[in-house]
Amino acid sequence: MIRFEKVSKSYPGGGAPALDQVSIDVEKGEFVFLVGASGSGKSTALRLVLREARPTSGRVYVAGKEINRLAGWKVPRLRRQIGTVFQDFRLLPNKTVAENVAFALQVTGYSPKEIRSRVPETLEMVGLDGKADRMPDELSGGEQQRVAVARAFVTRPMILVADEPTGNLDPGTTVGIMKLLDRINRTGTTVLMATHDHGIVDQMRKRVVELEHGQVVRDQDRGVYGFQH
Amino acid sequence: MRYVLSNLGQGLRRNTSMHLAVILTLFVSLTMVGTALMVRSQAEKTVDQWGSELQITVYLCRADDSNARCLGEVSNEEKRAIGQVLDDSAQVDSWELESKAEAFEKVKELYSDDADRFEGENAVLTEDDMPESIWVTLKSPDQFEAVTSAVAGLDGVSSVRDQRQTINPLLKIMSGMQVGSLAIAVALIIAALLLVANTIRLTAFARRKEIGIMRLVGASGAYIALPFLLEVLVTTLVAVGLAVGTLAGFMFFGVQRVFSQYLGFIPWIGWEDWAFASIVVAILGPVLSLVPTLLLTSKYLKV
Repeated sequence: MIRFEKVSKSYPGGGAPALDQVSIDVEKGEFVFLVGASGSGKSTALRLVLREARPTSGRVYVAGKEINRLAGWKVPRLRRQIGTVFQDFRLLPNKTVAENVAFALQVTGYSPKEIRSRVPETLEMVGLDGKADRMPDELSGGEQQRVAVARAFVTRPMILVADEPTGNLDPGTTVGIMKLLDRINRTGTTVLMATHDHGIVDQMRKRVVELEHGQVVRDQDRGVYGFQH
Repeated sequence: MRYVLSNLGQGLRRNTSMHLAVILTLFVSLTMVGTALMVRSQAEKTVDQWGSELQITVYLCRADDSNARCLGEVSNEEKRAIGQVLDDSAQVDSWELESKAEAFEKVKELYSDDADRFEGENAVLTEDDMPESIWVTLKSPDQFEAVTSAVAGLDGVSSVRDQRQTINPLLKIMSGMQVGSLAIAVALIIAALLLVANTIRLTAFARRKEIGIMRLVGASGAYIALPFLLEVLVTTLVAVGLAVGTLAGFMFFGVQRVFSQYLGFIPWIGWEDWAFASIVVAILGPVLSLVPTLLLTSKYLKV
């Protein structure tokens, strides 16, 4: 579903490359943690998947397509297959919960009828039924992140990319979000999540890919955050 | 679609002062372009009637010419002799003969308001009353005297008209107006484009969050740029409307009510010239504003 082939990425002016000869292969339906310290290249890897950046060398495949060769106008179509969740939620403050979720459908051309059926369904799935008409600033952090997850998942993407989705949340709320991502994963969605939260990685027992200075130093099924010898 | 339209309304309201500035500068510059075009048509009409600053007109004798030197209708030999003199003159660039019929047409155009005076049995003027004439184009506007004196004494020549005293000041004013209004138009168009660019930047900044999300969820570039294009299109169309209206007002109150009443010796431009200027303005306005908008949106809203 996602494949990196000897991918390197250096930024102009930056000394050491952000990614250095990275090869990762993520199967359809897998749940993969991307761990490592700040600056280890996690975010760069996610940006490459979204084609927000292009690799300096090597190839990135998403859903069978080599995306560094993708023409600019085809990028939106790629991104429609990928849901994205960020640490800072990125909700629109002047729209209600339902409108925020509907936004992803509106701007990609879904019919009003489809929007009316999909939005409540997804809100219910993420546990926000009854809060459709609230404004984002009336919600707790965990609830806001649920809205963001709903917005990422409402189009039923093949891949969900999450960049530190629990970074701003307290441990109790984090568990709820992780359960939600796990549920989404069980529907067959491939989940790629960057984090440096030891607790959740240890708890979930999913595949762990660790990056250090832009290189893969560990790729382990059912791993935990730190090395176990 | 509803999203696009509600965005359009929002965008127009959010930057009202900016949009008014764009509308005003575009409106004035487009009016200037239109004015230049109408003045140009006017200059052409004037030259058609009276000749340009390089032309002198040699009127040939009619059958009952008031000039005593004329002994009747100019003969073909006389015409040939005059042509020979013109051909031999180093100052003459070219010349052509204007027939009675052509001269009659010009008179009818000048008095087009009461064209029926020239029709039927009791016409005040007929084709036969018109003199034939030779329109001589000089190589330089200063060399008319030699040609005038060479031709004036020839048989068959009734009079030589030199346009420079009557028409030159007018033509100078008109070309001055053309250059002036085009210069103002260019300056204002540049100002308008800078304003458009600024508006787009401000709007893109104000909506950066929304645009960021749209890009993430995979909205197409055209979809993201559409509200911007529509915003600019609406302001441009308002400006075009104002400009076309102003030109029409100028046409109606200036040309038709004043100029053509008091300055009847030249034919004045009509509504077809206004229509032409309006069409040019209506095409030019959107092209001038939309092309840079397209370029800018692709720059500011890079996917």
